[in-house]
Amino acid sequence: MRVTGTSYTAALVEQMNSLTARQYRLQNQATTGQRIQAPEDDPAAMGQAMNLQAEISSVNQYAANISTLQDRSTAAFNVLQQLKTITDRIGEITTQAGDVTKSPDDLKNYATEVTQLTEQAVQLMNSKQGDQYLFAGTNSNQAPYTISKDANGNVTGVTYGGNSDVPESEIAEKTTLGVDVPGDNTSGTGARGVVKDDRYGADLFTHLISLQNHLLSGDTNAITTVDQPNLANDEDNVIFQVATNGAVQSRLEAESSIAQNRTGYLKQSISDVAGADMTTTLVQLSQTQNAYQAALQSTATILQLQQTLLNAIPSI
Amino acid sequence: MLGLFGLLNMGARSLQVQQSGVEIAGQNLSNINNPAYARQRLQVQTSLVIPTALGPEGTGIQAVGIQQIRNSLLDSQIASESSVGGYWNSQQSALENAQIQLGEFFNQAASSVDSSATAGSAALSQGIAAQLSGFFNSWQSVAANPASLTARQALVNQSQGLADSLNQASQRLSSLSDSLDSSVNTDIGSANQALSDIADLNKQIAIGEMSGGTANDLRDLRQQKLEQLGALVNFDASTGADGSVNISVNGTQLVSGQQVVDTLQSYNAGGGQLLVRTATSATPLTLTGGSIQGTIAARDGALKTIRDQLDSLASTLVGQVNGIYVNGYDLHGNTGATFFSGTDAATIGVNNTLQTDPSLVQAGGAPAATGDNTIALSLAQLGEQSNAALNNQTFSQAYDLDVAGFGNSLSNANNQVSNYTALNTMLLNQRDSVSGVSLEEEMTSLITFQKAYQASGKIITTVDEMLQVLVNLKT
Repeated sequence: MRVTGTSYTAALVEQMNSLTARQYRLQNQATTGQRIQAPEDDPAAMGQAMNLQAEISSVNQYAANISTLQDRSTAAFNVLQQLKTITDRIGEITTQAGDVTKSPDDLKNYATEVTQLTEQAVQLMNSKQGDQYLFAGTNSNQAPYTISKDANGNVTGVTYGGNSDVPESEIAEKTTLGVDVPGDNTSGTGARGVVKDDRYGADLFTHLISLQNHLLSGDTNAITTVDQPNLANDEDNVIFQVATNGAVQSRLEAESSIAQNRTGYLKQSISDVAGADMTTTLVQLSQTQNAYQAALQSTATILQLQQTLLNAIPSI
Repeated sequence: MLGLFGLLNMGARSLQVQQSGVEIAGQNLSNINNPAYARQRLQVQTSLVIPTALGPEGTGIQAVGIQQIRNSLLDSQIASESSVGGYWNSQQSALENAQIQLGEFFNQAASSVDSSATAGSAALSQGIAAQLSGFFNSWQSVAANPASLTARQALVNQSQGLADSLNQASQRLSSLSDSLDSSVNTDIGSANQALSDIADLNKQIAIGEMSGGTANDLRDLRQQKLEQLGALVNFDASTGADGSVNISVNGTQLVSGQQVVDTLQSYNAGGGQLLVRTATSATPLTLTGGSIQGTIAARDGALKTIRDQLDSLASTLVGQVNGIYVNGYDLHGNTGATFFSGTDAATIGVNNTLQTDPSLVQAGGAPAATGDNTIALSLAQLGEQSNAALNNQTFSQAYDLDVAGFGNSLSNANNQVSNYTALNTMLLNQRDSVSGVSLEEEMTSLITFQKAYQASGKIITTVDEMLQVLVNLKT
């Protein structure tokens, strides 16, 4: 092929452009660690990487949801533990009050303690996390329990203003979990109420009031035959709630761990799809830089030879 | 016999021919960096032969012409390929611009940022994909904390960010579409100027070649104009008897001999998008190459597709979100409002009242139940559901596919430009090997003609000395 005057320079410009573009690309890959940056770089991989990023974002959100649920569940657990302490004490009182040797004054003293414990239980069941009541169902902006007392300070009734609905949150794709438990559930369906649930015969406050009244009236028989088994059932219900809460927390812990692992795998997948192989990239960058220098040097040599040709004219 | 004076004339003619040789070499060397220039050669032949008693005797050399070294097949191939190059270059340029305007770039670091951030914070990334994920994540946050004003405010901000991103992408891509229309008009103006220049050069070449010979430099210039026109619009060329080039586009003649019989013109074919027709005959043209058609193809192809897809995404989002949201209740027990306003990517917006009071977000499924998250949860789960309107993809999947599809169009344009560049480089190298000026050849020619000039001078000096001898014989 006949080589002309502009062939060298045109080829040099073309090669330099090509090598500069390649250097720019490799440099970008080396500094960002990414093989692709824009859709044009590798459309299929870009789509895949975007999908994976969206998935990571979702998994992070599930992890955040799990964390929120864990906080709420822990707060409920603390309340349930304290409630369990109250039911423990109530159990002791019913046993001791059933003793026929107890005097009416002893029984009245027990009645006063039961009143106190009832008020304490109401207070516990009106616990809040942030500005939301824990045991009000979805009516969580108002205290679920209201206590009524007579002129003597005895509890005459406790009413429930919440509902039995439980909000659920997503902890994984299409998997929801509700950690809340309502104080009362008389609907016959859904989560078991902490204080009252007809399906399981639980009605703590009613049974506490009954105990208080029987203590005041000195009806030890009723205490032994009616209140003691009822309150034992209420205590079982509280124990069930504590156990359930523990199981839920274990599940949340497991889901949190799964989410964490998934994030790791997904990041690895993104790296596989879109990441640059640093060894190859750096070797290629070095090769390209060498080629760039070689192109410059070889062309400079040829141009020097042409200068020799021009210098030859005057000597002829 | 020529005689001494005939010999003197032979020397003088030789001097003139060698001088012309140096002139042509000089012309070639002067144009060594002119890409439109085709090297020239001095055509010489022996001058008139005189019959003598000794037989036919030569009278030296004479120049008969200046030949331009060109390969017309390569010239026409390059002009034709330039329309392919123009087509793909303009598509590449338009789509690269669209890629920037769409603003969807992959940032691996964003994944790391998100993982340590709190819920709904994908807003840290700016692309629509990240905003879309963030939008549904924000609903998740509200579902997990339905009464939290902070979570609700984050949702409103995130939703506004998504709406803004869609608005901006739509507006930028629309502006780009308008710019491409301007580009079509500019290219049409350049093409009409090239048509006028070619007709003018046809005329100058005809005049220049009327008395014989070839108007080499004008032909160089015309070839350059033809290649410029080819880059703008693909055309058919035919050569007339007088050496003029006739141009027609899509079967309609535009240049006939020395006249421009018609020009190109843009017209609104409906929908505000410009197409091309002839100005005089108003014939719509179906172009298949050149930057004008490349720009139109990018505007009505990949660019329009991604704009339509963004509109479809936005309108589906508005419809689906509002369809669920309208049944929800805010923290005050109000219901019936919509979350998004607008109908497409350009107009989508967040209900203004939510900006100032996030408690009005209708996240609950029942009145007076601030802990109810039914609607928030349904909207959060909407992000995981496939939509018939989006080819049974989720919102994120559909958008990711749209971006990948757009990337394919640009990637294809990039490949086509690379192919064209490689092919064009080969064609130019081939043409250069035929028509280009070689420094070595021309320097050698200079030496050759210089030596021949010196030798011709010797002939004259010798004859002069012989004449001197002859004149001195008398004394």
